[in-house]
Amino acid sequence: MKIIKSAFPLVIALFLTYAMNQSWGTIPPFGKLLSPYHGFWINAEQAGSEEMSEEELTISGLIKPVKIVYDEMAIPHIFAENDHDLFLAQGYVTAKDRLWQMEFQTHFAGGRISEIVGEKGLASDQFQRRMGSVYGAEQSFEGMKEDPQAKVALEAYSEGVNAYINSLSERELPLEYKLLNYKPEPWTPIKSALFLKNMSFVLASGTDDLKMTNILRKYGREVAEDLFPNYPFEESPIIPTGSPVDFKPVPIPAAPAAFTGLGSSMSTPEKDPNIGSNNWAVSGNKTVSGMPILANDPHLTLSLPSIWYQVQLVAPGVNVYGSTMPGTPNVITGFNKNIAWGVTNVGSDVLDWYQVKFKDASKLEYWHDGQWKKTKLRIETFKVKGKKDFVDTVFFTHHGPIVYLTHEKPFKSNIPVGHALRWIAHEKSQELTTFYRLNRAKNYVDYKEALRYFSAPAQNFVFASNEGDIALWVNGKFPLKSKLQGKYLMDGTDAAADWQGFIPQEHNPHVLNPVRGFVSSANQFSTDPSYPYYLGWQYAPSERGRRINERLTVMHKVTIDSLRGLQNDNMNIRARKLLPLLLRSVKSNEKALGILKSWNLQNSPESIGATIFETWVVNLQAFLWDDEFASDDKIPMNRPSIDRTIHLIEQEANARWWDNVKTKAKKETMDQIINTSFKATLDTLVKQHGALGSEWAWYKHKQTGVRHLIPGMDALSRLNIPIGGGSSIVNASTTKTGPSWRFIVELSKTGNPKAFGVYPGGQSGNPGSVHYDDLIDTWAKGELRPLLYLDNANQSTSRIRKKITLSK
Amino acid sequence: MKSTILSIIILIIVGALVGFYLPWYAMGIQAGILAFLLRFPTKRAFITGFISGLLLWGGSAWWLNISNPSALPARMAFLLPLKGSIILLYIFTGLIGGILLGIWTWAGARLRQK
Repeated sequence: MKIIKSAFPLVIALFLTYAMNQSWGTIPPFGKLLSPYHGFWINAEQAGSEEMSEEELTISGLIKPVKIVYDEMAIPHIFAENDHDLFLAQGYVTAKDRLWQMEFQTHFAGGRISEIVGEKGLASDQFQRRMGSVYGAEQSFEGMKEDPQAKVALEAYSEGVNAYINSLSERELPLEYKLLNYKPEPWTPIKSALFLKNMSFVLASGTDDLKMTNILRKYGREVAEDLFPNYPFEESPIIPTGSPVDFKPVPIPAAPAAFTGLGSSMSTPEKDPNIGSNNWAVSGNKTVSGMPILANDPHLTLSLPSIWYQVQLVAPGVNVYGSTMPGTPNVITGFNKNIAWGVTNVGSDVLDWYQVKFKDASKLEYWHDGQWKKTKLRIETFKVKGKKDFVDTVFFTHHGPIVYLTHEKPFKSNIPVGHALRWIAHEKSQELTTFYRLNRAKNYVDYKEALRYFSAPAQNFVFASNEGDIALWVNGKFPLKSKLQGKYLMDGTDAAADWQGFIPQEHNPHVLNPVRGFVSSANQFSTDPSYPYYLGWQYAPSERGRRINERLTVMHKVTIDSLRGLQNDNMNIRARKLLPLLLRSVKSNEKALGILKSWNLQNSPESIGATIFETWVVNLQAFLWDDEFASDDKIPMNRPSIDRTIHLIEQEANARWWDNVKTKAKKETMDQIINTSFKATLDTLVKQHGALGSEWAWYKHKQTGVRHLIPGMDALSRLNIPIGGGSSIVNASTTKTGPSWRFIVELSKTGNPKAFGVYPGGQSGNPGSVHYDDLIDTWAKGELRPLLYLDNANQSTSRIRKKITLSK
Repeated sequence: MKSTILSIIILIIVGALVGFYLPWYAMGIQAGILAFLLRFPTKRAFITGFISGLLLWGGSAWWLNISNPSALPARMAFLLPLKGSIILLYIFTGLIGGILLGIWTWAGARLRQK
């Protein structure tokens, strides 16, 4: 009895210690996390001094020593004596700054988040794997390994990441591991493949086929084609109209039989990311220096740690500077002594759905081309934290995986049930080879050759060289389709509906040194309708592209700084067109109307006109279309574009769509809808921000933020950033997305290129470092930082802060 | 009283050493072992350990932040959530350390008690 009594406190002590060593739901392990000797306190990094520091580190696996110098932005410049050591060092330094992010993003891509957060991550994980993310990564990994240089790069990069992981003691783990209470696992080359495949998820997984079929079923083909036209009324395509065609097109496959699928779905939330990008290159005859200047700003979800990581990679045969994505070797967009290149996304249709007819409930056979064919089964096992493993069977037809069976609830509302997915991201591919070659390219011929290896996500690769060339290839692997094939859900039993091969790569849309003296892209239509192949019926709205092209057309004596101005252009050309059309219908004495009338059409941070207009557009679209196209959650539909709405206002004032079908007794007119939506806009804004005043400023309304990758982690995010722009503005900063990396490069015949850049984040992924978010303010102001391009490791410059020598 | 102060000093010094080399909970266990070996009086055991832990954890956290200032403590003070107050974060850290050492000291002392 006594023993029990005296041992009782010990039991309490043990239990309490155990409790403080565990995480409970979202509550972190307090003991481990708060200990000043183990927890977050030691993740604090003092701001670097102006003094230069030197360090030597030993890393097994290196062939020769590697020198790394860090500049004042903590950007590493890596000098190696061979490719293997270069990529090993790249892996090492990237992990040193971004290990948690690299692992978290690849866990997400691979459908393994539930290993960290438990059951609540399972639906997302299952969706990732059902879409074939792991299958696709395995396929592309096979392709990558076929190129010996890419294989060396992947393996050495892995070695470098692992050298860093192995050097870490538990107390040195990045903060997020301590918060979420887990440890890093070894890196493997397939993780790099997973990361690259995930870019297809981010950029090329948009799909409207289900919504379009729902429209087809409700309104018929004529209405569907009328409201969802296959080329916008206003457009300025990437490849200028009239550009020479230097190939003989292959025959286009015959169209499959007309088909109206089952459509429908179950109600689930859907996110509609606002991602796109801008890039352009201006030829020497339009610039002050006489040399081409290239600019690029990819728009992605703004996150901390940033999706980009700047680096300079130097080894025999290569000296390249630019942004990489943590998790993959090479530079993704950047420049070397001779060339510069950048990317924007191509919104072509590379994802299609096939309605599957199974023989019976076993789903082991499906009907295709007049016979029963066997499905293939793939078993996916999910390790769920705190729960038993979850085992899932995915059925594959020859098209691809059946993402959801007919009785299942999809993770996103645009994903049809009972359909097989045909997606370019499942193809074997060699994207790494493209980047490896671009990093080393010397001229247009090298660039063109490098692009041959790129499959997905298709990109508009803008190019400039110090030989004076500017070019743009709309590049990727594009399925060879009949016109509009895949606009709607397709018949999985009809062999004529299958993808019939691919457009030959050299037939991809492209332009070299056009007469107009510049090339550009902003995710709009790749070509005008005269291009012989069908790539897709819907691209990003054309405003950014049109604005860039109208500016570049009139700009002369172009400099880096004038292009920086264009990257930050806040002109709202949608308002330029739409606002006068709306204002002529509005009768109101509201002060807000006066503000709109005198608005300078700039989405500048302080603008109130921008807030009213942008909110009005959202309301107008809702008031005009939602009664017909968003009346039933279970039958998700597309809403016609703004481009189509403008056409409706201009040409079809009496169209049936103006009437609100929910008010049976009344018949609304165009003027009424415009007025009601205006009134609703003011009501919404008063409700949100109080009476008309400075709280209505565009940036306060828009709330651009750079958020930590863990949802809801506001303490590690930068919110409410004073920046203008918007989704159809060249300065494409929205609430959650925006220019994730802006850079401008002016090439030089004899010297080094002059380059400037910035991204909304910082080099370090550690919230305890000054370099976590030190570039955000520069970015928000629309300024750029000079980028340091070194010739060798010993070059003297005042910008170097730290030198590290890595040796065996 | 004197012996209590001495006990606190010993717990803090040994606790810091243990903290540098062993897992975080070893700082609690050492307090238990010391309380057992040095026959800490049961009555004041918890408070002795608690004060030691409070000073050791709170003080170390303060010292770390003073000698190596960064934005991290402020961020953590929002995250936990302590309304961004670093003072509260020191106190919270101290409390966790205090509870850890307090309970273990108490446990060690009680185990010795016949």
